[in-house]
Amino acid sequence: MLPVAVDAMGGDAAPQPNLDGAFAAVAAGTPVVMVGPHDLTGLTSGGVTLDLIPASEVIGMKDDPAQGVRKKKDSTLVRAAEAVRDGNASAMISAGNTGATMAAALLRMGRIKGVRRPAIATPIPVPGSTPTVLLDAGANADVQSEWLVQFALMGSVYARRRFGIENPRVGLLSIGEEPGKGDALRKEAYVLLAQAPGINFIGNVEGRDVMSADIDVCVTDGFTGNVVLKTLEGSMKFLIGALLEAFGEPEYKVHADALMPALLPLYATLNPDTYGGAVLLGVDGVCIIAHGSSSATAITNGIAVARELVEHDLVGEIRDVIAAAMPTD
Amino acid sequence: MSEVISRDEVLKIVRDALSDILEIEPDTITEGQSFADDLEADSLALIELVEALEEALSDKVAGFTIEDESLEDLKTVRDAVDYVYENANEST
Repeated sequence: MLPVAVDAMGGDAAPQPNLDGAFAAVAAGTPVVMVGPHDLTGLTSGGVTLDLIPASEVIGMKDDPAQGVRKKKDSTLVRAAEAVRDGNASAMISAGNTGATMAAALLRMGRIKGVRRPAIATPIPVPGSTPTVLLDAGANADVQSEWLVQFALMGSVYARRRFGIENPRVGLLSIGEEPGKGDALRKEAYVLLAQAPGINFIGNVEGRDVMSADIDVCVTDGFTGNVVLKTLEGSMKFLIGALLEAFGEPEYKVHADALMPALLPLYATLNPDTYGGAVLLGVDGVCIIAHGSSSATAITNGIAVARELVEHDLVGEIRDVIAAAMPTD
Repeated sequence: MSEVISRDEVLKIVRDALSDILEIEPDTITEGQSFADDLEADSLALIELVEALEEALSDKVAGFTIEDESLEDLKTVRDAVDYVYENANEST
């Protein structure tokens, strides 16, 4: 397969986690090409030399996403997206500026025909079950009800291809389960989702359902989705910190040691690094958006996810599903 | 002034590009429509439009670009058509 393009300069601690993650991915059998400055060091390790697509600029975390892509045409993000567009890479991954990653993918790879707006799909861990796919997790602060139907279609394809869920249950995030609950957007979207063929719509769901095994895909606007995502991340961090603090007391150490074998797998399930980042659905190529604080493990996992989605032809199925849902003349 | 591109041609290019980006019929797009209020085009959609116009005009007008600073003045379809028409023919 074609290599996965890795933005060497994306992320808070770049380039080291990106390089380390790339070497681990290559060792696991996935070809990788780095996108970074021509004098990037650390491209050789353990007898392996990573290929490099040179790019002289970096779009920073604080740069305006769209203007960054317009003005920094030789940036790592733009070059990575162009590598996918031009058939030199199979997919791209970046832990850099989320908005700019989305803009680079959208402007260089283009949208899949019929897709109104791309959406960010993020797996939310569910202990003892497959993750819930939350989308949109931040690409579109304002949405229209028809877009939510497309998000449901694309999220269902992703849940099927990524997690093997045959007939994903789709919930619309609202403030009550009854059909009449929510604002005008939610009420309108409810009717459209209930009528849309190809969507296993189970109705409204509430915030408490996102981490439950009762749904597989949770559809919402990008503003709400991002608030949900960040709230969950903060809660998880708090919970783990509080547990570790409690276990740190000398009198509980023996009990904590006994519980660790049960808690470590749970920690792995809840750790965002396990899932390798979010996916931008609706663009004409595979684009993984990793967390700015991604570790090497997160990058390796993100590259593995990219490979999986390319091999499972995620983009092809989204293209087919969106085309089938489009009104015919 | 000899035109490289007529205003009608520009209008067609703008309509086609908007139609692709916003997934709406080109015939429904009129010059008086506002990008934000009537067409619900967000800032990213406008950047898509700018890139699409630059690409569509690259064959006819070498080096044609839309200055990012001008973007905030382009409020309606007519603004975009006028801007492209004037600048494309000035560039030659």
